[in-house]
Amino acid sequence: MLYALSTVLILAAEEAEETGNIGLVLPESYELVAGIIAFGIVFFFVWKWAFPAIDKMLEDRQRAIKGQMEDAEATKAEAQSLLDDYRKQLAEAKGEAAGIVNEARESAEAMKTDIVAKAQAEAERIGTKARADAATERDRALASAKVEVANLSIDLAELVVGENLDRTAQLGLVERYLADLERMSD
Amino acid sequence: MSEQLILASECDVANEVICAPADVKELFELPTIFHIGDIAITRTILLIFLAAFIVVALLYFGLRKGNVIPSKFQAIVESLVQFVRKDVAEDIIGPEGVKYAPYLTAMFLFLLVGNLFEVTPLVNFPITSRMAIPAFLAIVTWLIFVIVGFYKNGFSYFLDIVWPKAVPIGLRWLVGLIELFSTFLLRPLTLAVRLFANLVAGHLMLTLLLGSGVIFIWNFADAGAKSLVGIAWFAFGLGIYLFEIVVAVLQAYIFTLLSAVYIQSSVHPEH
Repeated sequence: MLYALSTVLILAAEEAEETGNIGLVLPESYELVAGIIAFGIVFFFVWKWAFPAIDKMLEDRQRAIKGQMEDAEATKAEAQSLLDDYRKQLAEAKGEAAGIVNEARESAEAMKTDIVAKAQAEAERIGTKARADAATERDRALASAKVEVANLSIDLAELVVGENLDRTAQLGLVERYLADLERMSD
Repeated sequence: MSEQLILASECDVANEVICAPADVKELFELPTIFHIGDIAITRTILLIFLAAFIVVALLYFGLRKGNVIPSKFQAIVESLVQFVRKDVAEDIIGPEGVKYAPYLTAMFLFLLVGNLFEVTPLVNFPITSRMAIPAFLAIVTWLIFVIVGFYKNGFSYFLDIVWPKAVPIGLRWLVGLIELFSTFLLRPLTLAVRLFANLVAGHLMLTLLLGSGVIFIWNFADAGAKSLVGIAWFAFGLGIYLFEIVVAVLQAYIFTLLSAVYIQSSVHPEH
């Protein structure tokens, strides 16, 4: 039994010697079959699933980028038109404001001239009136002073003379005298 | 881990400088996990399906939402796919490259994951270090460029290769012979062997260096001062590990790129 076993082992060893290591360089049949099946699986998966998936994804990406770029372009155009509008409106508003300011300045100028003219006229009028009033008052005071002076003169003269004088005649005399003085002073 | 266990069981740390398995096959012919009928399902076969599953999951979870504004993950998956589609398929083959883009993309992603298994913790085995996948993909590429060549150009595709008009008549037969040999035999062979050999070499170096390093350091009682050798192996292994990440990505890219170049030469043979 033991002998038979060792014979088998020796035979197997000899057989291995004969084939040597050439077996390492030749494909082993089960491994070859396994390799063909495994590679087949990979190949079919790449061909039927991975490539279509990647193509779809690339198309989606391309579309998304294109869409985004178009959106950006549209937004930019809109922004530009808005900016133009605002600029135009701003320019218009500026023009309008300048017009309003000018108008206001002109009207203020006119108003000022008017007020000054009116004030001057008023001042003139008041001055004239004051002068007129003063003259009237002076005349009146002068007239009253004349009468007083005449009366006082007569009273004084009566005291001196010691009798009643003809008041009317004496007054006329005084007045003439004063009128002469006035004439002389003029 | 299984490779390291095999190494450890055989390694005589006191006398060996580096731990190597008795038969290199042990590093590449992985143990059977279970059986389906008579078919032995090895770890390699499971890893082959795991690679396919990872690629499908990567694509599915990366692209399923299809957001117009991608997440970071989606952006990475997208750029990975678009890289093969645009920069390899369409830039090299031309507008007609679109037709071959699914094949090239599937190839690149499958090889990328399969190669990166070499440096993936807990996996640590590149499925492309077994000849099955490189050979299969090289044969498919060969079939595509031969069939497309004849389909697009008729028999003149073959004639232009064996009787190149641009070459002086005296040398034409020689160049034709070389071209015939290189186009129909060397192209698929080198395509497959380049990938396979790179990953075999990488896996071999990583398992031997890192495995020996770990074993020497772990068994310092038996190895004594020699466990310092283990530190050196381990440090060297880590350097190679970083290098192998680059190799894994580069080899997936080169395989895909050359496939595209070969297909291009059949679509536009005058170039």
